[in-house]
Amino acid sequence: MLTEREQERYHRQILLFGEEGQDLLKEAHLFIAGAGGLGSPVSLYLAAAGVGMLTIVDHDMVERTNLNRQILHRDRDLGRPKVDSAQDTLREINPDITVRGINATIQADNVADLVGKADGIVDAVDNFTVRYLLNEVAFAKGIPLFHGAIQGFYGQAATIVPPDTACLRCMFPHPPPGEPAPVIGVTPGIIGTIQATEAIKYLLGCGELLTNRLFIWDGFRTRAEEIRVQKNASCAVCCRSMGEKEA
Amino acid sequence: MSVRIRFFARFRELADPEIVTEVREGTSITALIYAVTENNQAARDAIFDQEGGFRRYVILMQNGARIETTRAGETMVADGDEIAIFPPVAGG
Repeated sequence: MLTEREQERYHRQILLFGEEGQDLLKEAHLFIAGAGGLGSPVSLYLAAAGVGMLTIVDHDMVERTNLNRQILHRDRDLGRPKVDSAQDTLREINPDITVRGINATIQADNVADLVGKADGIVDAVDNFTVRYLLNEVAFAKGIPLFHGAIQGFYGQAATIVPPDTACLRCMFPHPPPGEPAPVIGVTPGIIGTIQATEAIKYLLGCGELLTNRLFIWDGFRTRAEEIRVQKNASCAVCCRSMGEKEA
Repeated sequence: MSVRIRFFARFRELADPEIVTEVREGTSITALIYAVTENNQAARDAIFDQEGGFRRYVILMQNGARIETTRAGETMVADGDEIAIFPPVAGG
């Protein structure tokens, strides 16, 4: 049930998907891996939309070099844990939701516990080692993974819904190099809002998701394209877990 | 026969976004891309490793269907084919 204040806050989107849809968002819990370039727009828009619980995990402190793109954080936050700064910003944006910041490094031995009972995972990290862990835990728990990655003016996004769609390993069997990348803040802004859009549509059960497609953004030339991706029958992640479920 | 090659994202900074070229029958995808980057060392270095194979993370598509980079040397192109090359990114 929405409070009167919530009905007012979400009035313009309740026109779009009704109070029933808003209730679905209110009851949802999303896990956001990373409070940086992608994590900033993703969490801001999910908070503003009224996703009832957001868990955001990061292990870094706010540095001045973050501030061209990581719009969760302010100059006054320099030296603070990013998750503390993120919590403050998100609670200011929307005091009607629950935000839980966890200052931790996502690793193989803690990723399942960190994700907990979340309804979905947003990939807002900066390396494929952790992305592959998020992909595996998404399949183990049967929850979606909203992928995004950026460099410079370029970005990519995809939605993975276990057990049926191509997974991150199917799309990227080999990780791209993770060298420190140049980036302009608008690029994670665009990719992050696509991830947030996907998460909202998934929670509402509406629209067409970015599954089995890789969205490619070329901000330098203002071109958006996509390539089809298929489940890899020999994929060690998604085809193994399908087999286990069938067995 | 004629084939079209499309470079995506960062590769467009190194090569023309789109190249249409004539090739002989029996030309593999690897040979095709190697040939069109003959005079473009920066593009060749970005796409190929030191052994002349595709860098493993590069995504290759032939007429919209994914081709594993490890099989590009044995996958032949046909008249009218469109080959797409995309470098995924990792930042966040």
